[in-house]
Amino acid sequence: MDEQRVVQVHLENISKSFVSRKTIFEAVNHVTIDVYKNEFLVLLGPGQCGKTVLLNMVSGLETPTDGKVEFLNSDSTDVGFVFQKTAVFPWKTVMENVELPLELKGVPKEERRKRAQYLIELVGLKGFENALPKQLSGGMKQRVGIARAYCNNPQVLLMDEPFGALDAQTRYQMEEEILRIWEQEKRTVIFVTNNIEEAVYLADRIIVLSKCPATVKEVYDISLPRPRDYVDPEFLRIREAIEANTDLAL
Amino acid sequence: MKKNRSQARDIMLSVISILLLVAVWFLVSGSRPDFFPTPMATVERFIRLIEKPIMGVSVFGHVLASLRRVMLALIASIILGIGIGLVMGWNKKVRAAINPILMALRPIPPIAWIPLIILMFGVDEFPKVLLVFIGSFFPIVMNTMSGVALVDDMYLKVGKIYKAKTWQMLRHVVFPAAMPTILAGIKIAISSGWMVVVAAEMLSSRSGLGFLINRGRDSYDVALIMVAMILIGVVGALLSAVFTLIERKMCGWMSKE
Repeated sequence: MDEQRVVQVHLENISKSFVSRKTIFEAVNHVTIDVYKNEFLVLLGPGQCGKTVLLNMVSGLETPTDGKVEFLNSDSTDVGFVFQKTAVFPWKTVMENVELPLELKGVPKEERRKRAQYLIELVGLKGFENALPKQLSGGMKQRVGIARAYCNNPQVLLMDEPFGALDAQTRYQMEEEILRIWEQEKRTVIFVTNNIEEAVYLADRIIVLSKCPATVKEVYDISLPRPRDYVDPEFLRIREAIEANTDLAL
Repeated sequence: MKKNRSQARDIMLSVISILLLVAVWFLVSGSRPDFFPTPMATVERFIRLIEKPIMGVSVFGHVLASLRRVMLALIASIILGIGIGLVMGWNKKVRAAINPILMALRPIPPIAWIPLIILMFGVDEFPKVLLVFIGSFFPIVMNTMSGVALVDDMYLKVGKIYKAKTWQMLRHVVFPAAMPTILAGIKIAISSGWMVVVAAEMLSSRSGLGFLINRGRDSYDVALIMVAMILIGVVGALLSAVFTLIERKMCGWMSKE
């Protein structure tokens, strides 16, 4: 446990507001979070709060209006990003999608292919290297998205409701899979969802965010052993405790 | 099996409708064959045209002459149209600067340019190619611009997350994403270019399908007019069919929905 408590990403008093049509919209309000190395952190919050905005700021896509994001104990600010609607490029094959982050970095073909091949096998898509996304199911596309996120070997993986668009059964399956992949290739994961069950199933730690603007409401350490059981009494107890304590209003 | 059968049925329906059209043509042309030649007379005229070149150029030579003008103009409008459209779609300032000019030029039909172009460039090859260019440039530049401007933000976000440089963003994300729209623009450009070339050739030319029509008018050879018109239709349809194949090849990644 001690080894895990090295801070990897530090969010210092972050606020973010947007100005649109002369009204100021506050998305995130004074959020301070320490994300520990190799932990599976879940940000749990209602639909339209600033969860994605928070991820975007960690990834560097957006800059905070106030406060700062720091990457500690690593010289790289590279992140991997798994998107809600997969965002797999339909014009590229599975292989070409997965190797893209390395291709953009100018890594020679042979080297990046080797890496991508390893990841394709890791996510269980061996044999589909040359398939186009239109030939894949939703769950398989998301596997491509996960492999791509791992490709440039980032220390931090950001996942923005990656299973939100999947049907229930595929979703359960992918929750299992993401843990298997993560156990094998440990990284710091920041996973955003509005699904309490999913949060309790996956997380080492859950941070509950409030409605807009997002603020940290509550933090739960989930120490249940894995694999977790959705109907285990302890699981249900934690789930209910979080439910009772939050106004997710889903 | 099922697919084969429905394909066979579709082909049969096409054949029947063409035969019907020919039958109607027969009926209509029966009364005044000198004025409106029968299908048989037209076929005869076509065979005679193969045997006896006009202006030293065989009928296929005339088709090729028209095709050549269209191809030259298309190459120019594809290069310029995609280039300018890409920059306009990508950069809002460039779009704001150029768009009004395009919007004002686009409604001017190529035929309206003819007098000006003849005065400036005479009646050589270049003015004809230029006319076809005018007819084919706008759909390509417009489609490229909107295809590039409308690339899904999510795809752009992927590029930004993995720190794509501008050229990488264009090559890996923007260009392929816009490709279906660009190809649709080229398809429009081909058919509009094919129409314009005939008009350009009818003005003054010694070769091409438009020239054959003119020749038919001048010598009261209506069958020749019919032959040229049918060739224009058939070659135009073939061009479009060939391009559809290219389109499918290049955008095979698109899902059917």
